[in-house]
Amino acid sequence: MAKLPELKSQHIWAVVLIAYVTTAVMPLGAPFKIFDTTQEIYSFVESLPKGSIVVMGGASVFAFDLESSAAMISCIKHMARRGLRLVNIPLGVEAVQYQKYCTDAARVDQKYGGPWKYGVDYIQLPYIPGGDPALIQLLTNVRSAVSADVYGTPLDQFPIMKDVQSYKDIALWTCPHWGITSIFRFVTGERRIPTAHFAQAAAYTGSYGYRTVFPGLVYVTNGWLGGAGYEKLMGFAGVGHAANDGYALSSALLLIFTALGNITRLSQTGKEEEEEKVEVK
Amino acid sequence: MSTLVYVRGYLVRLIIVTGCLSALISWYFVSPQADAMFTEINLINMNVSLFTLFVGIITISARYIRTIQARQKYWPYQLYAMVLMFLWVIMGTTAGLYSDFYQTAYLSTKITLHIAILGQLIFFMASGAYRVFRIRNLRTALFAIGAAAICALNAPWIATPFPQLDPFREWLLSHPGMAPGRGIAIAGAIGACALSIRVFLGLEKGALRATEAA
Repeated sequence: MAKLPELKSQHIWAVVLIAYVTTAVMPLGAPFKIFDTTQEIYSFVESLPKGSIVVMGGASVFAFDLESSAAMISCIKHMARRGLRLVNIPLGVEAVQYQKYCTDAARVDQKYGGPWKYGVDYIQLPYIPGGDPALIQLLTNVRSAVSADVYGTPLDQFPIMKDVQSYKDIALWTCPHWGITSIFRFVTGERRIPTAHFAQAAAYTGSYGYRTVFPGLVYVTNGWLGGAGYEKLMGFAGVGHAANDGYALSSALLLIFTALGNITRLSQTGKEEEEEKVEVK
Repeated sequence: MSTLVYVRGYLVRLIIVTGCLSALISWYFVSPQADAMFTEINLINMNVSLFTLFVGIITISARYIRTIQARQKYWPYQLYAMVLMFLWVIMGTTAGLYSDFYQTAYLSTKITLHIAILGQLIFFMASGAYRVFRIRNLRTALFAIGAAAICALNAPWIATPFPQLDPFREWLLSHPGMAPGRGIAIAGAIGACALSIRVFLGLEKGALRATEAA
């Protein structure tokens, strides 16, 4: 076998860059499958009675959580269509901006032509510091942990908050953040609230295990693909669809480079073996 | 033992024990008094946590001001960072965190840069896959084949035309993929418990900053 040269990292990076630029300029529309786990959360939201309180809550870093935004935005659109109500509970500093991003991107507010009105159908609470104890406090008695919304307006002035006193009023907790462990512990485990984790792909396996720990209470979607699947169920093409092309190409490139690396090693190994053959007279 | 060491060591332990007991009692028993105490302790905890947000600004400012005054290396960048930091605080306070103006500024700067950093990962993953996933023996074969299988089975171009592979994909993620993660999480939790007990008992050097003051 002819000896293949070792590729420089810059060459590999150039190929990956070309692939991403190509999909950005010329969308491929790569097909994808709707996973069963995505269908499960869709069906659960469909089953919630009109007016149910859903929470979007958690803590993490905005850039990490962006991968979850595809599914979260789709779910918010779904909630608006079903007449559900949303309470945004940021437990991390950047969660305020992230939850605003998801809510605005879903275009559910009346200023975007949607059906929701702030304070009636959805509300944004301010950053709640304190970690796990603060979450526990909030679940026990919302007003003992937070007294006003992100604008500083007292909670009692909002119609939606009249129906939210404690964890007993929450029908579903959605978490599009990395910080899911505390949610599984205190929301799902201790208070048996159904929880949907719109997980990043790297966090999927960790969250999936909680489905066996809390059967029937945990729903998990898988990264960009899960988000694209939820978008497909909702009948629109959003950021999940846009990411799917790059996702498809990058997974193919990873496999190609893995195979190429092994072929390169095999070609070099064969060459070494040939060189070791020495005739002794 | 000095007073400071005494206070650091024993007062902190007393606060920890009080907090733990109030949490446990309020969870396992119906006790309005324990609930009230737990609520008060939580409020104190929230206020202390909120104050820690300012610790970063204070620490960075103290260090950067010294560097700028001494005109040490990179002082222009630190001056730029300082100015930007305080301008951002003023902007957030006046415009409001939930305003479209603040959101646009935030998305256009910090988030875009952070995403760019994370976006570099795929390039390193591609070159890393080329160099690391090379089969030399059984262990590396399992490593490479496992990684390639996860990558392939999650790929849209495999999952869509071959839906019969979905159960295998789910099994790989929910059993071999998940089990080690649970093991690591359990090990980490046990380690955290052990470390907490050692810190509480003062067995760790610098625990509760008591030994440093001695």
